[in-house]
Amino acid sequence: MVEPLLELKNIHAGYGEFRVLHGIDMVVNPGEIVAVIGPNGAGKTTLLKTIMGLTTLYDGRVLFNKHDLTKTSPDRRVKAGLVLIPEGRGLFPNLTVKENLLLGAYTISSRSEVEERLKTVYELFPRLKERENQRAGSLSGGEAQMLAIARGLMSSPKLLMLDEPSLGLAPKIVAEVFEVVKKLRVERNITILLVEQHVKESLELADRAYVIQGGKIIASGKSEELRNLEELRRIYLAV
Amino acid sequence: MFEPTAFDLSAIGTGVVNGLVLGSLYALASLGLALIFGVLDIINFAHGDILMISSYIVYLVALSTGNPWIALLSSLALFALFGAGVYRGIIHYVLGKEPLIQIAITVGLGLILQNLALALFRAEPRALPSTLFPYPLSIGPLTLSANRVFVALVSIILCILVHYYSTRTKLGLASRAVAENREAAWLMGINVPLIYMATFTIGVLLTTTAAFLWMQIGPVDPYLGTIFGLLCWIIVALGGLGGVAGIIASGFIIGVLDSLGSIFLTPSGKYIPMYIAFILTIWFKPRGLFGRR
Ligand SMILES: Nc1ncnc2c1ncn2[C@@H]1O[C@H](COP(=O)(O)OP(=O)(O)O)[C@@H](O)[C@H]1O
Ligand SMILES: [Mg+2]
Repeated sequence: MVEPLLELKNIHAGYGEFRVLHGIDMVVNPGEIVAVIGPNGAGKTTLLKTIMGLTTLYDGRVLFNKHDLTKTSPDRRVKAGLVLIPEGRGLFPNLTVKENLLLGAYTISSRSEVEERLKTVYELFPRLKERENQRAGSLSGGEAQMLAIARGLMSSPKLLMLDEPSLGLAPKIVAEVFEVVKKLRVERNITILLVEQHVKESLELADRAYVIQGGKIIASGKSEELRNLEELRRIYLAV
Repeated sequence: MFEPTAFDLSAIGTGVVNGLVLGSLYALASLGLALIFGVLDIINFAHGDILMISSYIVYLVALSTGNPWIALLSSLALFALFGAGVYRGIIHYVLGKEPLIQIAITVGLGLILQNLALALFRAEPRALPSTLFPYPLSIGPLTLSANRVFVALVSIILCILVHYYSTRTKLGLASRAVAENREAAWLMGINVPLIYMATFTIGVLLTTTAAFLWMQIGPVDPYLGTIFGLLCWIIVALGGLGGVAGIIASGFIIGVLDSLGSIFLTPSGKYIPMYIAFILTIWFKPRGLFGRR
C-alpha cells in the first residue's frame, strides 16, 4: 500500500463559533485525482480552506507528505507543497498578470528558478504571455481561470486543490478547464483534489470521489461506483 | 517665514518656493499613513502624535549630544521598536474589527502620547538652536537656505525610494497583494502578519524621518501632532490611495496653500484655503485628485 499524500483525520472545523465540518476523514494518494462533490453550503470550500489552515479547527488532524501540519500557518503549508486555487480564483485584479504569477512563486527564493517556472507556465498558457503586462482584472473569465491555475503551478505544488474552477464559465470554457486539469496529471503527475458542481464531468475525470453534505461525508468510493449511486442521483436531480 | 533672497523676489514667489519645501516634507509625513491605511486597512489616528513624539526625541537627543545625526539614528532605532511593539501589542488585535474599535484604540494611543508630551514638556514650543546647514544657497536666480533644500531633497528622495520599494521589491509586491486580497495572499505563501508588522514599522520609520526633517525647519509643541495628523489626512485623501506621485502632488498643493496662507492670513486662518480645497475635492472627486481606487 502506498503512503497517502494527504490524510485528514476526524476534522471538525468552521468559522469562529460557527461549526461547519463535523468529523471528516479523507485520504488523497500520490498521483490521484480526487473529487469532492456535494450541494451548495455542504462545506466543500470550508474543507479546502481547512486544509490550508484558514479556518478555525476544533478537532482533528491534517497530515501531509508525512508531516503533521495541523498547527502550521498557511504560508508554511504552501512551502510544504500545498496549493489551493480558491473559489472565485483569488486573483489580484489591480496587479499585472506577471505580478500575479510571480506571487505564485513567492516561496521560491532562487531567481533563476522563478524565471524557469515562468517560462514553463507561459508555454502551457501562451495567452498569458501575450497579456503579461495587463491588469489581471482585465482578463476574460476563462483567461482569469487559466491565470489562477498557472499561478498555482508556479510553486510546483505536490498537491493542487481547485475549488469550483468552472464556476461562472461558459460550457466550452468549462471543457477547456477540465482538459487542462487532465493534462496536469498526465504530463506532470500532479496530485489533484477537485471541488466541483459539475458532477458528471468531475466523476469522469477523477479516480475517486467523496460526497459531502451538511459537513459530513455521506458517500465515497471509486468514481465509476459513485456514478450509479442512487443517493447521488437524488441529491443532484434537485440541483 | 521669509527666506533671504538674492533678488527681491515677490512675497508670492518666496511663498511658493517655501510651500514646495514644506509640501515635500508633508508628502513624506503622509506616506507612512497612506502605506498603513493601504495595506492594513486601518486608520491610524495616532499618526500625527507619533510624529510629534519623534520630534521631541530628535530634539532631546540632538540637544544633549550636540550631534543631529546621532539624534536621527537613535530615534530611528527607538521607533523601529516602538512601531513593531505597537503593532504586536495593539494593532494586531484590532485588524478586521469594527471601525469604531480601531478608531477608539488609535485615538486613545494619540491622546496618551499627547498628554505625555504635555506633562513632560509643557505647552511651549521648542526648536533646535542650530540647524544642519545654516547658510544660504544660490540656485540660478534664487537664494534658498541650504537647510530647506536639504529637507526637500531628502523628502523627495525618500518618497521615490518608497515608490521603488512598493513597485520593484518582493516585499513591496507582497504588501500590495496583501492590500488587495488578504486571504489570497496567504495562499501564495505570504506570511501576512509579518507583512502587517513590517508595513506598520516602515510607516512609523518614515514618520520618524519626517519628524527629524521637521525639526530642521520648525518647532515642536504637544499640539504639533494634531495639526500634522489633519494635514496628512487631507493629503492622503487628496492624493488618492495607491500612488506615491499622487501623495507628492497633493503634498505640494497643501504645502503651497499653507505657506501662502501664512503670508496673507492669520495663523489660524491659514488653514481655511486647505479645508476649502479639501472639501471641494472630496465633493467633486471623492476618490481624490489622482485616485485610482
Ligand atoms: N467566512 C465564513 N464565515 C462564516 N460562515 C461561513 C463562511 N464561509 C462559509 N460559511 C458557511 O459555512 C457553510 C459551508 O459553506 P461552504 O464551505 O462555502 O460550502 P460549499 O463550498 O460546499 O458551498 C455555509 O453555511 C456557509 O454559510
Ligand atoms: Mg464553495
